Order: sequence, then structure tokens, then C-alpha cells
Amino acid sequence: MRTLNFAKRNFKEIMRDPLSIIFAVLLPLFLLFIFQQFHIPNQSYELQNFTPGILVFGFSFITLFTGMLVSKDRTTSLLIRLGISPMRPVEYILGYLLSVLPIIAIQNILFFILAVILGLKFSINLIFAMLASVLISLLFIAVGIIIGSLCSEKASSGISSIIVQLVCFTSGMYFPKEALGKVFATICEWLPFESCVTIIKEILNDRSETISARNIAVFSLYTTVFFVLAIVVFRQKMTSDNKA
Amino acid sequence: MLAIETKNLIKKFKEKTAVNGINLTVNQGELFALLGTNGAGKTTTIKMLSTLILPTAGEIKINGMDIRKDRQRIKAILNVSPQETAIAPNLSVKENLEFMAGVYQIPHKQEKITQLVKLFQLEEVLKQKAKTLSGGWQRKVSIALALINDPEILFLDEPTLGLDVIARKELWKIIESLKGKITVILTTHYMEEAESLSDRIGIMSAGNLVAVGTAQALMEQSGTQNFEDAFVKIATGGDLS
Repeated sequence: MRTLNFAKRNFKEIMRDPLSIIFAVLLPLFLLFIFQQFHIPNQSYELQNFTPGILVFGFSFITLFTGMLVSKDRTTSLLIRLGISPMRPVEYILGYLLSVLPIIAIQNILFFILAVILGLKFSINLIFAMLASVLISLLFIAVGIIIGSLCSEKASSGISSIIVQLVCFTSGMYFPKEALGKVFATICEWLPFESCVTIIKEILNDRSETISARNIAVFSLYTTVFFVLAIVVFRQKMTSDNKA
Repeated sequence: MLAIETKNLIKKFKEKTAVNGINLTVNQGELFALLGTNGAGKTTTIKMLSTLILPTAGEIKINGMDIRKDRQRIKAILNVSPQETAIAPNLSVKENLEFMAGVYQIPHKQEKITQLVKLFQLEEVLKQKAKTLSGGWQRKVSIALALINDPEILFLDEPTLGLDVIARKELWKIIESLKGKITVILTTHYMEEAESLSDRIGIMSAGNLVAVGTAQALMEQSGTQNFEDAFVKIATGGDLS
């Protein structure tokens, strides 16, 4: 119950900041729409390939807002008040996590509705892709909690922008990873974003069998490590912030 | 019965000793002011007493319960209004109260909220977002939030810092109304605040609790005519008097 109470408050905090909606929902929607108007002769921009990329791009803004919320809670001393309450660290982490899931659901539904309007074929795979993307969003939430625990509110937005850029350049959403040479392709393969896009893309296009063991291993490893790190760093910062 | 009892309480941050062997007792229902210069160790002491950080050594008992063994039970009976206002900025005053009632799992939360709204006269700002409130209102809301669980012990860390004289007097009235009902530990830099509100005053200097007593007793002890001079003499060891 405490977790849900905390999640409800976090959700309200995020939704009442209009920038959250603009960046997390409207900007990716606009990009999805506008790139389809250019009819770019490149496979990356075909709806069935570009929509998963846009989805993951939208998640990078979830990192941004989670990071800013956690850092704001630290700087406004709200976490001191909560630290004295009977709330446990796991309830904070789950509270932050649950609060952004409705936003992820909104992103998913709106992105896919627009994609279908623009010509994406509706199938049951679309639902499976949405479910997979919720799982993938966990990675981005964990990164947000880590950034928010370590940085000030201003620094959080700066560092999270790096994640947004990394998603753009290394996920393969705008161009194939091989386009910038072998070294760049290898970097993309060992960073998690290309795997995130590939998993959603292959599920959407009914080619789940082509998802490689590397894709699953890279995504799972990063998500697990970042989640454990998020819990450890958050707990440590709650203590160290109070050294005064 | 004692609300707070510490024995040889020590807090070290790496090489720095922030609190150096404090022995303190506070009675139930007492309003105890903790004074000291910046860096004297007041806030660290409050953070230890309120379960936020653990001591490096020494004992803390809250209503007879050990801070290490009975941490969760202790958390249920105390609350704090931190130095910074610590409210959710994008939530309205009412939503802030509901949120904290949820944190403490208050059974009849609407009743409790109505009671606090009346006590702090929050009606006119109830629907206003917390970030748009003036400093005085934010402090009021902060203290109201700290009373949501009917704490037996309340920590007020510099509750009137930066407020104008009218807002300060309003808060004094509220704090005075709590006297005798709950134990209040107050830290402040305003001498007149400590003198007029508290039953007893503790003075900290460089991590040590150097004097404890009523304002009158501390003036007599230091041989001064007013409380501010008494504080300066005790806190500096007579260097500035």
C-alpha cells in the first residue's frame, strides 16, 4: 500500500510537469509522423522497423524524468521526511518504478495507434511487442534511478540527455549499426540499446526466432546489473545525503 | 518516563567527529531546544535521534526502545519537520497531507486531515500547489505533515528559519499549543525562540553538549543578564564575552 501511495504521488509529480508530456510522448509521436512523410528510401524508416526505435527513444525520456524526480526528492529533503517514516528502500524503488509504468503504457498505446493509422499492419504481434517493451522499459527506469541518486537535478537532466543521444546513435533506429564501420557496430552490439530495439522489432514482425542469444544476454545483463545498482546506490545516497 | 535518553552518543564521518559523546535526557511532553553555532552537531544529533542515521557508538533510547533493535517501532511514533520544507512541490496542500497519511497508513485519514487543516488554518491554501506557497505557508504545511501520525516525539529543525516576524509568531503559537501533549525537540538559531518556547535548553559546541538547563538557569550559570549573552559565553567558552 505504501508503495502504491508513493507511486501515485510520483505519477502526479511527473504528469504535472508539461515538459514530461511534450518530450516523452509528443516529440516521439511527431518524429514518427514526420519521418513517414519523407518516404526515406531506407529500411530503417519503414514503419515496422522505425516504430520500435521510436518506442525505445521515448523510453530514454523516461530515464530523464525518473532521474529528475529522484534528484528533486533528494534536494527538496522530501527523502529525509520519508527516510524517517516506516517506508523501506524497496518501497521507494518500486514506487518510482510503478509510477512511470502508466506513462510507458500511454506511450506504447499512442505510438502504436499512430503507427497503425500511418499504415502498420495490426496483428497480435503488436500486443506482444507492447508487452516486451514494458519489460525493456525497466532498464531505462533503473538508469534513471541511478542518475537521480548520484546527480543534482540540473546534472540529472544533462546526463540523461547523453542516454537520449546514445539511444539515437547506437540503437540502429536512424541508420544500421554497420553504416559507421565495424568498431562502431561492435560498440552498438555491446551497449543495450540496439538489443532493446531489435527485441521489440523482431517480436513485432513475427520473427522472434531471429532474436539472438546476444540480444537477450546483453539486455538481461544490463537490466539486472542496473537494477541492483539502482537499489544499492539509492540506499547509499539516502544515508550519505544525511551526513551533515 | 523519559522520551529520549542517550548515553555517550558519538557520530564520526571518516576522521571528523560530528557528535562527541553526548549524554542527554528529555522527558515526555517536554519542549527541549537544542542550540549551537553552525556545525555544532545539532542536525547530526537530530538525524540520529530520528532514526535517519545510525550512531557510530553509544546508545539511544526512544520511549525506552533501542534505536538499533526497535527501529521500525520507533519510526511509527516520531516525525520530523526538516530544515528544508520537504514537501512534494507539484502536489496541492491537500494532496501532500493525503500522501503523508498514506505513508503512515493512517486509518481514518480524512478525519486526521480535517483536524490538521483546522489547527493550521490551511483552508485557503488547501487546493494550492505546494511550490506556489510563501515560505511561511510552506513551514506551516511542513509541520502539519509532521503531525499526520500523531507522533509522540516531534523534531522541528529550525522551523522558523527565514520567516518574517508575523509568520514566526504564528508558528510559535502552533508550537506552544503542542507543549505538554507531545515531546518536541527544536533546533533554532533564534535565541528568543528557544527562550520563550522551551522548557529546557541544551547548548552544543564542536560536537559536545556543553550545557543543559532552563533559560534562567543558563543565565545564572554564565553570570549574564540576557539569554543571548549566556549562549555566546557558554558556546564559545567565554572567548567572545
